[in-house]
Amino acid sequence: MKTVSMLLVVSLALLGLAGCGGNNNNSNAANGNTANTDATATNTKAKDPVTLSFVIPNTVDTAPFTQLFGEFEKQTGNKVELQALPGGEFDNMMKTRFSTGDFPDLFLMQPGTKQYVKLRADEMLREWSGDADVWARIIPSMKDAQTLDGKIYGVPYGATGMYGVFYNKDVFAKAGVEPPKNYADLIAIAKKIKATGVTPFYEGVKDGWPAQIFYLTGWVSNVDPAIGDEGVAKLQTNELKMNKIPALKDLFVKQKELIDLGLYQDNVLAGTFDEMQTMLGEGKAAMVFNLDGIIPQLEKKFGKEFVNDKLGFFPFPSDTDQGVALVTPPNQLMIPTQAKHADAAVELVKFMLTKEMTDMYYAAAPGIPIFEDAKVELVPVQQTVKDLIEAGKSKINIQNRLTPVFADFQKLLQIFFINGDVDKAYNDFAANYEKDGKSKLLEGFK
Amino acid sequence: MKGRKYPLYFAFPALAVFLLFFITPTVIGFYYSFTDWNINADTISFNGLDNYRALFQEPRLLTAFKNTLIFAAAVTVFQNVLGLGLALILNEALKAKNFLRMIFFMPYVISPIVIGYIFRAIYHPSNGIINHVLNSVGLGFMAQDWLNNPKFALFSIIMTDLWRVTGFSMVVYLAGLQFISKDLIESSSIDGAHYWQRFRFIVFPLLAASLTVNVLLAMINSMKIFEMVMVLTDGGPGYTTEVFFTYIRNMFSTGQFGYATAVNLMLFVLVTIIGVPVLMGLKKREMEY
Repeated sequence: MKTVSMLLVVSLALLGLAGCGGNNNNSNAANGNTANTDATATNTKAKDPVTLSFVIPNTVDTAPFTQLFGEFEKQTGNKVELQALPGGEFDNMMKTRFSTGDFPDLFLMQPGTKQYVKLRADEMLREWSGDADVWARIIPSMKDAQTLDGKIYGVPYGATGMYGVFYNKDVFAKAGVEPPKNYADLIAIAKKIKATGVTPFYEGVKDGWPAQIFYLTGWVSNVDPAIGDEGVAKLQTNELKMNKIPALKDLFVKQKELIDLGLYQDNVLAGTFDEMQTMLGEGKAAMVFNLDGIIPQLEKKFGKEFVNDKLGFFPFPSDTDQGVALVTPPNQLMIPTQAKHADAAVELVKFMLTKEMTDMYYAAAPGIPIFEDAKVELVPVQQTVKDLIEAGKSKINIQNRLTPVFADFQKLLQIFFINGDVDKAYNDFAANYEKDGKSKLLEGFK
Repeated sequence: MKGRKYPLYFAFPALAVFLLFFITPTVIGFYYSFTDWNINADTISFNGLDNYRALFQEPRLLTAFKNTLIFAAAVTVFQNVLGLGLALILNEALKAKNFLRMIFFMPYVISPIVIGYIFRAIYHPSNGIINHVLNSVGLGFMAQDWLNNPKFALFSIIMTDLWRVTGFSMVVYLAGLQFISKDLIESSSIDGAHYWQRFRFIVFPLLAASLTVNVLLAMINSMKIFEMVMVLTDGGPGYTTEVFFTYIRNMFSTGQFGYATAVNLMLFVLVTIIGVPVLMGLKKREMEY
């Protein structure tokens, strides 16, 4: 009897352990013979279809991708399974997955070459430099933005992003004002708008991230001209300290002025991105510092006409002129060399790059295209930025040019909105930047 | 039957699972807290007390430490006071007592995340129900930006958590009250003891075991507070409501695993330092009759 009960207990325990075992969703697909999938042929059905895993940050709109993947499945029989990870921690989650050997078949990464360093691209990622057909239609400057030491590990996909000041044209018309010619003009405009009873600026301090855009978009118009590309290179290696840049401190002073003049909404600390859209759309707020992600949101809430007819855009003005528009390269598609279905993933990327598919992508998510001859209908605010880019009045976001990030910036800004201490905010900003460089073990910071 | 012993090996499977999934990770964690384990580094090497030195120099951790203690103290005290009060009331022969017991216990079974989201709406400065009520009864001057005003944010989180956990204490006290002999209460009534005296000298001392359980659980759980803070304020505005676990999560998410493990271990030490004497003190005053 003893033996029987002992056996029972042990087998129960083992059953319990088996329940904890890995549940690998892709294991079925792993049996698929990827050699059957031809990397160039896109219209022949794979004999043994596979399911590709595509990891994406949850901040990215998946609808256009889903549409493309539907087409891919129709043509090849291969399915694509989307896995969305939290946008804020996406990079580290990918790195963690890499270090545990849990490779997706492909993934979408933020733009820029700093990701190469982070992901140890030369060992881990497929190199695209030699694929002439991949680069045939991509605008050269976008290719350059992806190139490090002559190598490219990510294929840019999507639209050029833009940051700046979005405004409600109706509110401007009622107050009898035009987009500003310089920063002083912006303040004058805001005061006039306030006199009409409308909140000049809405800021999403509670959500945190929107509050950073004031500085990022202010940087390209005010800090970049002051320190030049050499200054940025020195920041990268910690030879120049963030709190040794008067033009940067001036941005904190400028925001303090907006707070002190009462140009933000009431309850500014409770401001959210969602309410920001509502206030701007309803004409209760005149201007917001934000990014192009607000356009589809506004379209959802207030319709296409609003976005086409009522929404305006201008860059963060400098003290002397209208300023330059902040642009960001699109996210990049990357394939781990150890992906289970690397060949099918390459096939998918090439499929996505065909004219038919890029046109389909832009139809679903219109934006400033990165492909030559792309068919896209831009909304007026995007056209404004496209014109600025063509006139040479644009600059890539500083956060896409530096490896260390502006760590904890949103928390710091919340504190700044509470206590209004310019020096503290400015110095903490510098300290956090250094701390991030140090935690990333970067040259010059260690 | 009495005194019958079971063979020790009956415990082995459970012990094996416990060793594998609880003790081993704890020991490994202890080791990693003395390393420079960082997501950006190729290697992990022993770095002595560097992590501990760094954490003592981190002002943000001091804020987290202070907030965690304030939160734990407030929740432990009021959860018990309110829980005991409710238990005493609902132990009386009231008509709706079962219904009321259920109502008060219900928040405890809802996920803290869900409660967080509900209370975010309740606390909203312009659309929230609290400020609406205050405005409509002429107390508009008391209306606040409950979660974004640094003076009130932690207080609002405490109130929300109290709403969630008080029902649990109530249930434990109610269970304790069931064990107190009615004869004892009745005989003391006959002897002329009024309600307060009966509570002070008979009921409360006999509830000592329930008190121990409640205080200890409340303390440990509230020192480990995380979800509620994350959803309501995410440690903000700024770092004003930062607690240990929001800080630890932040350090983990930036890939500083060695350092984050050290902070985690500090929390463990802190809970032990406070928990053990409290447990011993409370145990001493437990009695049986």
